[in-house]
Parts: sequence; C-alpha cells; structure tokens
Amino acid sequence: MENQQLSFEQILNATVRMLRTTWKAKLCLFLQQDDQGDLCVRACDGISTGKIAGLRVDPSQGGIGQCFAKNKIVETDATTSLGALSAVIKPYIRKDQKFVLVPVFGETRVLGILFFGPFPKKEKILPREAELRSAGALCAVLSAHWRLYQWMSNFVPQLNHELRTPLTAVQGSIGMVLGGMFGQVGNDVKEMLEMAQKGCERTVRAIEEYINTQNPK
Amino acid sequence: MKVLVAEDDPDIQVILKMVLTRLGKCDVSITFQGDQVFPMAKANHPGLILLDVMLPEMSGFEICKALKADPETQSIPIIFLTARSMPAEIHEAMTLGALGYLAKPFDPMALVGQINQILAPLKISIGA
Repeated sequence: MENQQLSFEQILNATVRMLRTTWKAKLCLFLQQDDQGDLCVRACDGISTGKIAGLRVDPSQGGIGQCFAKNKIVETDATTSLGALSAVIKPYIRKDQKFVLVPVFGETRVLGILFFGPFPKKEKILPREAELRSAGALCAVLSAHWRLYQWMSNFVPQLNHELRTPLTAVQGSIGMVLGGMFGQVGNDVKEMLEMAQKGCERTVRAIEEYINTQNPK
Repeated sequence: MKVLVAEDDPDIQVILKMVLTRLGKCDVSITFQGDQVFPMAKANHPGLILLDVMLPEMSGFEICKALKADPETQSIPIIFLTARSMPAEIHEAMTLGALGYLAKPFDPMALVGQINQILAPLKISIGA
C-alpha cells in the first residue's frame, strides 16, 4: 500500500465527509474560531472553506452564541439564528428541516462548531448526544494538532535563526583569532579558544540534529 | 571587487568587513537596512552582494526578487549568508535567482574560499 502523507486540511475534510455520511446529512462543516474571534470554515463537505464575511461569535446571540457560551448542542431551523452563515448554507435551508450545532470543545473552551444538516424537524438528534460529542471531540483533537503543526512550522525556523545568529559572532571572532588575523597567540590562549570553538561546533550540530528531528512534516 | 553586504547584526558586520577586506581584498559597503540594498546596488554597481534574509524593512528574499527583476542589477551575483537555513528557505533563495547560499555560523577563515567556490562558474573571484 502506498504510504501517502495527508495534510491536516485533507484529514479534516475527510473527517467531516465521514461524519456527514454517517449522519446521512447533506452538509457538514467544521467552523473554527480564529485568534481575531472570527469563525472560519476549516473543513467542509458541501461548500468551500475560508472566511465567511461578518460571521463572528456573539455569546449573547443565536445558535452559534449558545453553542459557544454554554458548550451546548443546539438545534436550529437556520432561518434567523445563524447570522452570516445562513446566507452561505441557503441552498440547504428548508422550512421543515433543521440543523445541528455541536460544540468542538478543547481543553478549556469551545474552539469551534461542528455543523450538520439538514435533518427533518421531527428527527430526534439530541438523544444521540454522546455520539455528537465524540464527533466534536475528534475535530477538537485534529484542530489542536493542526494548530500545533502551524506553531511548530514557525517556531523551528525562528529558533534556528535565533540560535545561529549569536553563534556566528562568537565562532567568527574565535575563528579570526585562531586563524592568525591579529597575530600569533600563546599556546594556552590557543588551547582555550579551541575549546570554545569546539563548544560552538557542538552547539551547531545539536541545532542541526534538533531541526532534523523536530521539523514537522 | 566591490562587495555590498546586507547584514543587520553589528557584530557580524564587523567580522564580515574584516574578513572581506583583509582576506578577500574587497571594497566593502555594508547596510543593515533591507530597503537600502536596492538603491545602493543601483548606485554602486557591486560585483557581488552578500545578503542576509532577516533584515529590517525588506527581507532578503524580497530584495533578491527586486534585484533580479531590474535589468540594471539582475546580473549582480547574489549569495545569501544567513541563519535561515531550513531546506525550504534555501530552496526559495535559489528559486529567486541567488547564485549560492551560505549558512551561519560560518568559519571566517574559510569564507573567502566558499564564496570563490560559488563564484567559480562565473569565472570571477575575490582575494586575488
């Protein structure tokens, strides 16, 4: 079997597709709150991902607010309580149907929403809360890994740079003295500087080993 | 040879100036500001540019792109000398048209030789 490495985006999209199929819904979205408080479609099966203009989390308002503020699974007919999201899912909205909003709960707070639907209004969804919560938890885990991956992608090159820059000055100065640019130095001084140089080289090797093992792929 | 160095760390500036002047026999101009590189290159026509990646105002990658896009500066060889040495960063620099890439920290006594190795295909060298 081919060892194909999937991106987090592909994994999240495959997950919402799996959830949509399992729940026999036409649409499944994973909406994640970004650092600015906006909600983004992080993964979906039905519409394109990206930012939805004007979609924010207002804890005092609507299904999304309730879901976030109370960590509560919410059923809604999507006509009034979804704000900017309603326009995006308009083709899926029917009078006799409803959508389900499942909080995606991280360690301490709601990170986003899993949005399923439409379901017939009479269909009993809430009794299956444990299943819905598990689906939310799955998205929370994937989302946390994705954020960690993004953080590592920035952190590792930054760390590499921040460690190498001061070492350049240290190793460069020692190298010039040992190289005789300022005349000959005594054996004792030379021995000490060689020790310092070896220490620098060891540090560079350690950085390279760290980069090679920690760089997320 | 006139060499333009873009480096924002003052300690490394001193080392590079000393090495390139004494060992490389170069006429060295240094700037710490990214947005100064392009006008300096246009005004002084250096034979070589040593470019850091992380510079104030304009990154080394942006500078390289600008230099390669201008007919007056596009033939100036550019060597990146930087602590940004992740494979993706090296790849980006080379894609933008840099002649070579040297990672920090470097051995000052070997630097002239390393630069000459990169310049060899152009049949030019420093330090002679």
